[in-house]
Amino acid sequence: MVLLFIIICCVWNIIGVHLVYRLFKKKHMLFDDRFTMTMCMTAAMIHSFSVALHLELVVASLNKFLFLCPILIGIWIGWKFGSILKNPARLTGIYNGSIGGLMGTMLGAVIQNPSLCSIPVVSDGVIALNMYILSIFFTIVHFKIAVFIRYSFTI
Amino acid sequence: MTAFPISLFVYMDICMCIGFYIYVFRKKKLIGFQLGMNISNVMGGMTALLSGIVLIWQFPFHFTAITILSALTGALTGALFGLLFDYQTFITGLTNGLMIGIMSPMLGAVLEVPFLFLLFLHGLFFATLVTILISIQRS
Repeated sequence: MVLLFIIICCVWNIIGVHLVYRLFKKKHMLFDDRFTMTMCMTAAMIHSFSVALHLELVVASLNKFLFLCPILIGIWIGWKFGSILKNPARLTGIYNGSIGGLMGTMLGAVIQNPSLCSIPVVSDGVIALNMYILSIFFTIVHFKIAVFIRYSFTI
Repeated sequence: MTAFPISLFVYMDICMCIGFYIYVFRKKKLIGFQLGMNISNVMGGMTALLSGIVLIWQFPFHFTAITILSALTGALTGALFGLLFDYQTFITGLTNGLMIGIMSPMLGAVLEVPFLFLLFLHGLFFATLVTILISIQRS
C-alpha cells in the first residue's frame, strides 16, 4: 500500500519534470546569462533531488544492487537541463544535478534504515509512516517550486 | 547543565538573524544582485544548518518532524532574504536553504561531540557575518 502510493508520487514528479523541461525547450531563446545560471541551479537541483528520493524508496526495496541508479538519473537530469541552454551552463547543471541525486539517495537510505545515522529505531510501522510523510512533503515542495519556476517566465 | 548554553545560543542566533535582516533592509539600495544572491545563500544555509543540528541534538526520536522543520526554516529564511532583492535571488535562496536543511539533521545525528561542533559552527557563522558586513561596507 505504501509502495503503491510512493510509485504514484514518483510518476507525478516525473510528469512535473517533463513539463518544466518542455517549457524550457520551447522558450530557450529568451534566456540571458544570469537567468540561465539561476534556472540551471534551481531546476536541476530540486528536480533531481525529488526524482532520486522517490526512485531510491521504490527501487532499493526491490533489489539492493540498484543503489547507483538514482545518482545516475540525477546526473542525467542535470545534464539534460544544462544542455538545453548555453554551453557553460552544462557544468552547472551536471554539478547541481549530482548534488541533488546524492542528497536524495542519502535521505532515502536513512529513512529506510535509521540505524545508519545512529537514530533509534522504533518499529517497522513507524518507518513506513516516515516514508509516507516525507514522500508527501517533498512532492508538495517539488510542485510548489515548479510553480515558482513557471511563474518566473511571466516576470 | 548543557541546557543553558543551548538556549542561549538559540536566542542569540535568532536575535542576530533578525538584526541582520533589519540592517540589510535599510541598506538594500546599495547592494547589487551578485552580493544579494550570496547573502541569501549564506543566511539560508547557516540558519538551516544551525536549526537542524540543535533540534536533532535535543530531540533525537523525531527525525522526520525535524527534517521537515529545518527544511522549512532554511527555505523561509533564504526566501525572506532573497525577496529583498529580486525574484531570481528569491528562488536561489529558497532552493539552497531547503537543500541544506534536508542535509543537516543527518549530519547532526552522527556527531560524537556535538557541543564542540556547535561552537565551531557558531564561529563560522560569526565569520561569515563579519565578511558580509565588510563587503556591504565596501560596495
